[in-house]
Amino acid sequence: MAKVLVKGNEAIAEAAVRAGCRFFAGYPITPQNEIPEYLSWRLPEVGGVFVQGESEVASVNMVYGAAASGCRAMTSSSGPGISLKAEGISYLSGTQLPAVIVNISRGGPGLGSIQPAQQDYLQATKALGHGGFRVMVFAPSTLQEAVDLTYSAWDYAERDRNPVLILMDGCLGAIMEQVEFPEMKEPMREGTKNWSLNRVEGVHRSDRLLTPYFPEAMLEMQNKSRALMVKRWEENDVKVEEFMLDDAEFVVVAYGISARVAKEAILKLREEGYKIGMIRPITLFPFPKESFRKLDYTKVKGFIDIELAIPAQMRDDIALEVKDRAPIYEYCRSGGFLFDDDGVYTAVKKILDGGAK
Amino acid sequence: MKKSLVVSGSGGQGVMSSGIMVAQTAVAAGKCATYLPEYGPEQRGGSAKCTVVVNDTEIISPLASKCDTLITMNEQSYKKFGASLKAGGVLIANTSRVISPITREDIVVVAVPADDIAVELGNIKCANIVLIGALIGADAGIITEEAMLNSLTAKFGSKKQEVLDLNKAALAKGIEFGKAAIAK
Repeated sequence: MAKVLVKGNEAIAEAAVRAGCRFFAGYPITPQNEIPEYLSWRLPEVGGVFVQGESEVASVNMVYGAAASGCRAMTSSSGPGISLKAEGISYLSGTQLPAVIVNISRGGPGLGSIQPAQQDYLQATKALGHGGFRVMVFAPSTLQEAVDLTYSAWDYAERDRNPVLILMDGCLGAIMEQVEFPEMKEPMREGTKNWSLNRVEGVHRSDRLLTPYFPEAMLEMQNKSRALMVKRWEENDVKVEEFMLDDAEFVVVAYGISARVAKEAILKLREEGYKIGMIRPITLFPFPKESFRKLDYTKVKGFIDIELAIPAQMRDDIALEVKDRAPIYEYCRSGGFLFDDDGVYTAVKKILDGGAK
Repeated sequence: MKKSLVVSGSGGQGVMSSGIMVAQTAVAAGKCATYLPEYGPEQRGGSAKCTVVVNDTEIISPLASKCDTLITMNEQSYKKFGASLKAGGVLIANTSRVISPITREDIVVVAVPADDIAVELGNIKCANIVLIGALIGADAGIITEEAMLNSLTAKFGSKKQEVLDLNKAALAKGIEFGKAAIAK
């Protein structure tokens, strides 16, 4: 298929349809409104259902219901709306139902700003709701990556019977660039999965979880199996881009739009002779720990965390792996301010020159 | 070669649609392009800006600090973004609304009374196409006349012939201004 110029939000929406998503419920919030807008006409075209719910809470619970029927279902929002959906997302994980949640993030905390930011990293990776469940978090950096990750998201969600979160900043939600869409997947018939409530044949009733409330022993057993699942993610499902790390003395760590601006700066600094590279997590959870572990700490002089968040949020995960073996520097903006090429280049160069002394 | 264009003005002037058309035209001509809109909560009357980056190969960062070409559709946007134009860059000012004197001497200035031209042609809505014409005429290296004519046909071809003709005339008028400016 030829490449087409599309907007980030619409790219995610179309990729979801092609992945077989046939149910969407959501409530409007900037900067993700093009996702529901697009799906409001696109889903009916393919026999799917679009609902603008009366609230975020209602919408996520409609997704909960659709997922329980075996349908590929999705909801999307931005920071403040994701907080409202937190209860429903926890229930999805608690009853082991697959769904895809999209957060096109904006400035925070509180109502924050409608402009782009990366201030939901901690919420996404540590506690998307109460009760200590974890979800895989995909963080695309280009629209092609957004398409590919969305397209595969239900495969992971269904394998694990757990929600998957796509976390993308509002800048990538708004931007237009070229993507190639994958083939249309045949939508899964409802009731063909072992968690489906309307399942008729061949499935043991115990495969389904008909209550979100469990006896103590069963709940602990479930939590143990979920802990093993997270361990498997860390072993098998990490996605990361390692850029120019072989001889790197300084390692930038950035994701999403920040990683693109950082990469431009790295290329320029390489031309000037600086030995600098980048670790770009594509899965924010599971975090690419191995990329940090295999570095040669006799050579690495420092890490530079670049994020659209103040205070820095990803820094904690970097620090857990670096373990005081090298200093961690930061260059951050927040509140809706974006990075720009000169700003990142100048800030990183200043760190390199200072750190090299 | 990587080139960046900023289109700025007031919501309702066709800022965003200009940016999208330029990006689509570049892509149709086989280039890579990104388009990034920036605006507040207002639909009309608020400040509107978009950045288009065009390149022969994949665009790594779409967030250029300074632009190679700047279209300012009103006074406010000229004041706000005038300084973000690189030395040696091209400024296309809609002088029907940009009233401040343009004093920078390190840039190419295309002064086009685009609103007046558009009204004379029959519809103020085509002022942005006049400005895109100026961009082409001034040889900003982003899109070509041929590619833009194809885009106009793709966009307006299904409408009445006079809509397409109006936009083609607007484009031609803008190109004249662009050419005259670089011939100086």
